[in-house]
Amino acid sequence: MTLLNVENLTVQFDTDEGRITAVDNVSFSLESGQVMGLVGESGSGKSVTAKALMQLNPRNAVYNGQSKISLTLLDDAPIDVLSLKTAKELKVVRGGAVSMIFQEPMASFAPAITIGKQMVEQLVLHKNLTKAQAKKLSVDMLDRVGISEADKRFDQYAFELSGGMRQRAMIAMALSTRPKLLIADEPTTALDVTIQAQVIDLMKDIVAEFGMGIIFITHDLGVIAQTADKIAVMYLGELVEQGSVRDVIRTPAHPYTQGLLNSLPKLEDLDKPLTPIPGDIPSPLERPSGCVFHTRCPQVSMGRCNVDIPPSVHVKDGHKASCFLIGDNGGPKL
Amino acid sequence: MIEKPLISAKNLSVTFLLGKNIFGPKLTIQAVADVTMDIPRKSFFGLVGESGSGKTTFGRALLNAVPISGGNVQYNDDEVSYHLERLTKAELKDYRKRSQLIFQDPYAALSPRMTVRDIIAEPLEVMGLMGSREETDERVREIAEKCRLNLEHLRRFPHAFSGGQRQRISIARALVSNPKFVVADESVAALDVSIQADVLNLLKDLQNELELTYLFISHDLSVVAHVCDNVAVMYLGRLVETAPTRDLFFKPRHPYTKALLSAIPSLDPDHSGNVQKLEGEIPSPASVPSGCTFHTRCPHCNDICKTVEPIVEPVAEGHNVVCHRWKELETPEPAN
Amino acid sequence: MTTTTTFEQANSDQKLKEAYFTASQGQLIWARFKSDRTAMIAGFALIFMILLGILAPPLSPYDPSIAGRDKAYENGAPQIPKLWDENGFSFRPFIYGTSRIRSAKTNFRWVITTNRQDRRYVHFFVKGWEYSFLNFSWDFPGETFDVNVKALTFSTHLFGVDKGGVHLFGTDASGKDIFSRTLHAIFTSLAVGTLGVLISFVLALIIGGAAGYFGGRIDSVLQMITDAVRTVPAIPLFMALAAFIPDEWSSEMRFFFISVILGLVGWPTLARRIRTHLLTERHQEYVLAAKLCGASPNHIIRKHLLPSFTSYIIVDLMISFPYAVRSETALSFIGLGLKDPVNSLGSLMQNVSQADVLLNYQWYFIPVIFFIAFVLAFVFVGDGLRDAADPYSDKSK
Repeated sequence: MTLLNVENLTVQFDTDEGRITAVDNVSFSLESGQVMGLVGESGSGKSVTAKALMQLNPRNAVYNGQSKISLTLLDDAPIDVLSLKTAKELKVVRGGAVSMIFQEPMASFAPAITIGKQMVEQLVLHKNLTKAQAKKLSVDMLDRVGISEADKRFDQYAFELSGGMRQRAMIAMALSTRPKLLIADEPTTALDVTIQAQVIDLMKDIVAEFGMGIIFITHDLGVIAQTADKIAVMYLGELVEQGSVRDVIRTPAHPYTQGLLNSLPKLEDLDKPLTPIPGDIPSPLERPSGCVFHTRCPQVSMGRCNVDIPPSVHVKDGHKASCFLIGDNGGPKL
Repeated sequence: MIEKPLISAKNLSVTFLLGKNIFGPKLTIQAVADVTMDIPRKSFFGLVGESGSGKTTFGRALLNAVPISGGNVQYNDDEVSYHLERLTKAELKDYRKRSQLIFQDPYAALSPRMTVRDIIAEPLEVMGLMGSREETDERVREIAEKCRLNLEHLRRFPHAFSGGQRQRISIARALVSNPKFVVADESVAALDVSIQADVLNLLKDLQNELELTYLFISHDLSVVAHVCDNVAVMYLGRLVETAPTRDLFFKPRHPYTKALLSAIPSLDPDHSGNVQKLEGEIPSPASVPSGCTFHTRCPHCNDICKTVEPIVEPVAEGHNVVCHRWKELETPEPAN
Repeated sequence: MTTTTTFEQANSDQKLKEAYFTASQGQLIWARFKSDRTAMIAGFALIFMILLGILAPPLSPYDPSIAGRDKAYENGAPQIPKLWDENGFSFRPFIYGTSRIRSAKTNFRWVITTNRQDRRYVHFFVKGWEYSFLNFSWDFPGETFDVNVKALTFSTHLFGVDKGGVHLFGTDASGKDIFSRTLHAIFTSLAVGTLGVLISFVLALIIGGAAGYFGGRIDSVLQMITDAVRTVPAIPLFMALAAFIPDEWSSEMRFFFISVILGLVGWPTLARRIRTHLLTERHQEYVLAAKLCGASPNHIIRKHLLPSFTSYIIVDLMISFPYAVRSETALSFIGLGLKDPVNSLGSLMQNVSQADVLLNYQWYFIPVIFFIAFVLAFVFVGDGLRDAADPYSDKSK
């Protein structure tokens, strides 16, 4: 069942320097039980996209009229997230059916309230449980995510836990409301690699058990390869390529994806020299015309790539990329 | 003739005072404990570890930016030879010319109020290395060009530059005094992935051109694997294993190294690998486990590991490991 | 890069960008400040009022001291010059002549009547009472050290009338022109404020600077001193000091004394701010980079720390100023500071709280408006500066 359907999402910000386009015409969909990796570097707009799903963007965000985010929960009619206005309406989206976990676990937890209290508060708010029921559920959740001595931790403060444990607690808190959609914004970036491995395992188990849809935002392609089913690659606000993880990583169609994969140091091939993508990521204030990647593309064809915006081209089943150079049977023409 | 290593550390310890407890013993943390390591000349020496490993502190101790609490460190280049734990004022002044640091955060490492030219020129001016302003400018331009900075941009302020460019300015500043030894402390960690390779290539080219020795501190093993020729692994302030890069990555001996390597998520979706998941958390440096500090998380821990601290044992040429049981665990790698 | 723009536009875009890239911090702050409309308006208002204060003598038609009082127009209402009335238009602004009578009918109170037929024309750049910009005499013990300076003496004023008096803001009980008094009061308050802020600033810089830079034990000791001074309650202190001031002190001495006291009481807050700035800046990575080149503390302070907090300090000074002015005003208002006949905004307001004034002579409140405007202008400019100087925060990843 299609859980989430994003169509033509365009987000701009009104700033002192003018109107900045953060997300430009992004469309994707997510099924229940699927993990989608949203990959991009700085300025790619991945965080803004994720926040749009819960309408968490700051006040000066402007959503273009054609943007549509539809959330389908069970048998109810799809909810149009962008049309929700009041806090009451948004309650469903924020913390009810959709939960979010962040990069910096300390950011999620109020420092002066115990973890348990925060988890209970959330459950009482969204699920109408009594405090006792909420406590039991929370302790169960903490245990489920691998936190030892869960009932003791329940009464502790966030700063008393180590980084890895805090992140797990945050996952527990996010999952306790049984959301249908979980958005994870760089959850493992701040963790040590051995802890990251534990958290990745945890997330894989969770997907299997809870059957939620997860949007996993990161810049680390290795983590995506191990956890995601499909991947969407963003660059400067555009969705340049999306498809199944195997397809995109093994046969990337867009020059940016190719360049990105090439520039990663891989343990399998230590002799290969490191090849960066030439140039720098342009600032959002200076978005290139036409295809946003054309200023750094090794296969750019001036006159076309810098003038028109490339359409989304079908490469394979479920695999799309936005590039003029893609032939009918996938892969850029050389 | 075997050259003396540029840096030779023996039983190096760095201890920090946490807080003054008037009534009881002082609270201390041993950020670096008993580390013995040699950094050969012109090597690109990698130092990896997770949080609490002490790698940053170690790097700074080698630059005399934090006080050395125990052990000794010798610095030997073609011209001078210093004992870093007891430098005189004059020696320290000279040592500053020969050793420099490249920081992690390109946004915090450059003073926002100085032009790029002034930032790069500062070491020259402070250390009085150039005679006149023209000579300083000349040298600044020379090094900026080597770091692939646009000479027209020297008049600009740091806010005009992207992360990757700022890092190159940082590198130019570190190299302007013509040092022999450069500590790169997580110098690419804050950069976008597609830019990292660019800065790493620059570092490598500069090393060849200027005959530098790098201590490359990082938590990112894949990066280290590609640029470093030797790697040392630290855990909770102690050295765990040292080896030439390929040996370390293909024939690791220490259980921690093995776990670290297997924890790196592979780009191949089908290859989940035999991930040796480490249980538990990294202990706090304030309460270090007894015996082998890794024993609380080691899948092969036995009674000796809990009580006796292991010593450095050679495995092969240039390859050392600090583990009681490495020989027994030296089974052929499971095939797949 | 953008091929759709014309060549000229691309060129000027490039020039703008280059200007932005090579702009120093000071220039960037100014650019940001300029775009804040509230702050710019407040800035102009502030400059205007400061000019009013500095140019008070030429702008005031009458001597604000007792020498310039208008005996015929005590407690007189404000006289606003007009250009037109039922008798016709006039290019030259005019006011009406007044006279006053007192009789049994008016309960023996002086009542002022205006004569609408008697036009008094306002002239500009008239000769009036003499004033000098540099005029002070220091009375030191003995005769030899006395200093008596009187320079830059003029007697031209911006406007005046041929007959009688022109009192834009009315007069007070002894006939002194409130307009002139207000202008001079602005100057006095400015002067007291400046001196007070200067003294606190110097003290705060030394003490806060040492605490912030050296840290450790020096910091702890200095912090204790700072907190001790801060806990001294201001009003009782001033009352005690007010009682202590000998009556024979001239108003200048009083003025000086009040400023010094304000400075001595106001430094802890500023010192704490300076200390905090320094403590943060000390740990910045670029400071460490300089240290690793062997830079001396002198170099680090000069090149890195001082420039880093110059902008903040200017903001702090701007914000401290209204506090000093308010303190002086409050003190003078309750009679502990400068007293009549000295003109300060506070002393002008001393008489305002009487019922008589509230009912009959409402124009006494005009200095209050000036005072509020003055303080608000400072606050808005300070806020604007603080917003403009704020984080040189580049967008990090």
